Amino acid sequence: MEDTHVAALLVRRCIAGDSAAWEELVERHHRRVYNICYRFAGSASDAEDLTQEVFIKIYRTLASYDVERGAFTTWLTTITRNLLVDHFRKTKQERRTDSLDAIPAEEADATPLSERIPDHAPGPEAKARSRETGEAVHEALQRLSPELRETVILRDLQDMDYRDIATVLKVPEGTVKSRINRGRAELARLLQRTYKQVI
Amino acid sequence: MQCLEFDALLSQAIDGSLSGEKLGSFEAHGRECRACGELLQEAEAGRSWLKSLGEIAPPPSLVTNILLRTSGVPRRARGNGLSSWLERLQEGAVAIVSPLAAAARQPRFAMSFGMAFFTLSATLSLVGVRLRDLRHLDLRPSAIRRSYYETSGRVVKYYENIRFVYEIESRVRQLKQATTPAEQQLDKQENHKGRENKSDRSGQPKQQEQRNYSQEGDQPVFAFLPDDPPVVPGATYRRLV
Repeated sequence: MEDTHVAALLVRRCIAGDSAAWEELVERHHRRVYNICYRFAGSASDAEDLTQEVFIKIYRTLASYDVERGAFTTWLTTITRNLLVDHFRKTKQERRTDSLDAIPAEEADATPLSERIPDHAPGPEAKARSRETGEAVHEALQRLSPELRETVILRDLQDMDYRDIATVLKVPEGTVKSRINRGRAELARLLQRTYKQVI
Repeated sequence: MQCLEFDALLSQAIDGSLSGEKLGSFEAHGRECRACGELLQEAEAGRSWLKSLGEIAPPPSLVTNILLRTSGVPRRARGNGLSSWLERLQEGAVAIVSPLAAAARQPRFAMSFGMAFFTLSATLSLVGVRLRDLRHLDLRPSAIRRSYYETSGRVVKYYENIRFVYEIESRVRQLKQATTPAEQQLDKQENHKGRENKSDRSGQPKQQEQRNYSQEGDQPVFAFLPDDPPVVPGATYRRLV
């Protein structure tokens, strides 16, 4: 509640032309936006560009933010998500073209992630902490459909509650829960192929 | 409990927000139904994998870039006040550009900018350049390399075409000269000579002129009539007299 109040105050100062308030707003929220973009888009360079675009859009439309309609983070996440959807649509054709040059599925299957990632740790917890495992999970996340991906990112990485996720995605809460279940299960299935011996 | 109800409660059960009788019946169904039990295990595993992902640190220049692209005000010095030379350079650039931008935003410049924009857009539309196409501009290294080779190929082709045309023209000219009758060539030569004579306004024979030019500058020329005057053209004679 205090955060909401502080955010609302910051927004008011920004609208009034206070550049220090705008800087504080960017400092407070850029990590969150960057992480959402990075986990969704998959690459650091795309995440950086998208984060800048998000803040440019926020800067232009800050006056349209209504404190009564919801928390600032929800509004910010909605804008981020909309831009990510636009980015996904824009790059869809490019990804299709690139996939023609990519490694064929047979070759990709020939060297599964489990062979590329060293298996030194005894348990799943130790493995999960390793950098290589993080990359494997990140890679598996990119293989989820965009609907499932965005939902699990918001729930499990950004710790948003179901209602806020439903507001951001503009779908009912039941759909959010269903997507979260399917997203988690699909991710586990993808990673089970990698860590059969563990799970 | 039915499978649909189990599915609806699954996320809450995993998050730990399910309790009491509901949790009991949920767990019982998970043990009885194989498909639902597997789904529960997979969802739990997926959640633990996702939770293992840590937060990624954004690039240090991100905030500076955002501020420069939005408010235009550089980032304030923080902590120990150390900033990279790049950031300092950017701040310096902003300090120079900002007053110019503020001056450009004045109303008296607005009409000029408007007219310039209108002229530019009209010119672009007349030429056939569409700004929409620029959005699809591919700046990947491979695409840039391909564009470079395509452009250089076009230039070479254009050059070869031009050279070919000039060669053909020179051949045709040579062919014309070779096929022209000898009389016509003679006539042409005479005409050419005639033009040269017309251009000579003194009316003196060339030889005489050369002789006069060969005389030294300090040698005076006196008018005299020899006993046996040679037959000279009238013009030359008049001049000597």
